[in-house]
Amino acid sequence: MTLAHLLAMLDRLIGTLLRLAGWLVLPVVVLLFLQWPLRDIFRAYSREANDLGQWIFAIYVAVAVTAATRAGTHLGTDAVARFYPTKARRILVRIGAVLLVPWACFVVSASKDTVLGSIRGLESFPDTNNPGYFLIKLALWILAGLMLAQAVIDIAQPRRSE
Amino acid sequence: MMPAAGLGLLVLVALGIVFTGLPAFVILIGAASVGATLGVLTDTVPISLLTALPSRLINLLENDLLQALPLYVTMGLLLDRLPVADALYRTGLSLLPRRPAAPLVSGMALGALLGPMNGSVGASVLALSRVVAPRLAESGVPKPTQFAAVAVASTLGVVIPPSLVLILLGDAMLSAHTIAVTSTGRADRVINTQDVFHGALLPAAMFLVLCLALSWHAGRGIPARADAAPIRLNRRQAVLAAVTLVALLTLLGGVATGYFYAVEAAAMGAFVLLTAGLLTGALRGPVLWGVLHDALAITGALFALLIAATTLTLVLRLLGTDRLVSDWITGIPAGELAVVAIVLGAIGLTAFVLDAFEIIFVIVPIAVPPLLIRVADARWVSVLVLLTLQTSFLLPPFGYALMMARGTLRLTLGFREMIRALLPFLIAQWAVLAAVLLFPQLVHVGENVAEATRTPATPMSEQELQRRLQQMLPPPPELEAPGR
Repeated sequence: MTLAHLLAMLDRLIGTLLRLAGWLVLPVVVLLFLQWPLRDIFRAYSREANDLGQWIFAIYVAVAVTAATRAGTHLGTDAVARFYPTKARRILVRIGAVLLVPWACFVVSASKDTVLGSIRGLESFPDTNNPGYFLIKLALWILAGLMLAQAVIDIAQPRRSE
Repeated sequence: MMPAAGLGLLVLVALGIVFTGLPAFVILIGAASVGATLGVLTDTVPISLLTALPSRLINLLENDLLQALPLYVTMGLLLDRLPVADALYRTGLSLLPRRPAAPLVSGMALGALLGPMNGSVGASVLALSRVVAPRLAESGVPKPTQFAAVAVASTLGVVIPPSLVLILLGDAMLSAHTIAVTSTGRADRVINTQDVFHGALLPAAMFLVLCLALSWHAGRGIPARADAAPIRLNRRQAVLAAVTLVALLTLLGGVATGYFYAVEAAAMGAFVLLTAGLLTGALRGPVLWGVLHDALAITGALFALLIAATTLTLVLRLLGTDRLVSDWITGIPAGELAVVAIVLGAIGLTAFVLDAFEIIFVIVPIAVPPLLIRVADARWVSVLVLLTLQTSFLLPPFGYALMMARGTLRLTLGFREMIRALLPFLIAQWAVLAAVLLFPQLVHVGENVAEATRTPATPMSEQELQRRLQQMLPPPPELEAPGR
């Protein structure tokens, strides 16, 4: 299997993950909406709804950063750069992807103990003891891991949308 | 030497954003990496202090307030996909006298109504470009005026609660005020998002009235077109507009009175729109998938900026740049008004290259804490910063609303034409900003004793102020708990 095949597989895998993650906004909306009636009307389970919404939100935004890269929605201005030749813009996109690699590697490496410890102990939410807090810490690795994988793909084959 | 290098990084960020065309978050992360490497190589920054970064990022992932991001983005997209904006606009047109200025005034009013609900300026530009711009073109409104109307109307929501910019600024001001209160030992109540909401209400109303008046004035010179299509408002649209108006006012009132939190209001808005869209069949298959896809991509763009700014501000703190800026601000030999004007001017200058979100995440955490040490009226400072941010959306050539409106309307306008159409609105905005600057009581109208953040304090000597500031900044990252 060539490097190009591997990168194409990685690209498809990320695409599938992002398509699935898009649906997560629905439970986030529903759970955060439910907080108000649960707290003020039923006076029960509002903390549970909040905790559940919190880890789903964490995973959603962790994935969303890479979705923005692929969709080309990141904030920026091309008022000057749009006049550059295509080749120069491709080089700039590659440089941009390279800039993200050390950051993503550092985040994963510096958080190794925190994230692994939390996953091993299946850490619960400290205030409510509800399960799932470890997923918020895992979301940090999802965030950095996806950014790293996308950067590698973009270094090999810069996206046209950018 | 190293604190000044931090300022160099900020210049690098500005140049990088303007000249590379790369996403701002990439430039911020790149600048932070350069700064961190410099700091480690020169033994200024121990690498162990950089390991505070993951815990700061985890704090973002579990931040309750940031949950508003996807909610507002989803609401904005739903408003764009559902016929709500169109119904509101047609109702506005049918209520106004049939004059050429009516589409401009109704468009401005629609911007004010939709803005707080969809939170983001980008979403407002999309909705207004789709609903209002064609009607403006039909009515013979010149292209530069169409462009100015859409761009200005899309920023009205910035200052009307519960907008996303207002919520994020409220959070940044809370952190800045906490630093200021702790370092000065003042007994002030720390400001919260609700205080910023209340403080912004009157200035927002003033700007809205000015915009409506300017729109009316701009429309007076346009000749009425006999071939313009009549406004058709069917019963269904009228009912939809009435229900939306009641729902909007309920949400706005609920947040303003503190009955529910801004995040809950956003969740309610998104939930109601989502349910309505699903029940009426307007959100099916590709339309629903389009909303989900765009919501993920736009939320990611905002969150990316947040993680990049968190990284850069950590590096700037470790380099001591925030202390340098603090020394400068606390050492300005002038009174409160002049200090506020200087800092706002500096923030305004950054707005030429940074947009409102970048300013909130990168500049406010550095420039505002020392300002609040000098100036105790946090509500006043917050509203002034908010108005400056609103201006930043409309500041040529890189104002976000301008760029979005130009791209969405596909207009090719000369710089002069653009400025000429925008200038009356920019002057109105600056007039409101100047009024709030000169008359701080404008942000305290209706404030009761319990709401006051400021307590009378004895003036502090310059030396004492500097000493407390040195104790306070930078926060020692090695003492921070690793996550929660």
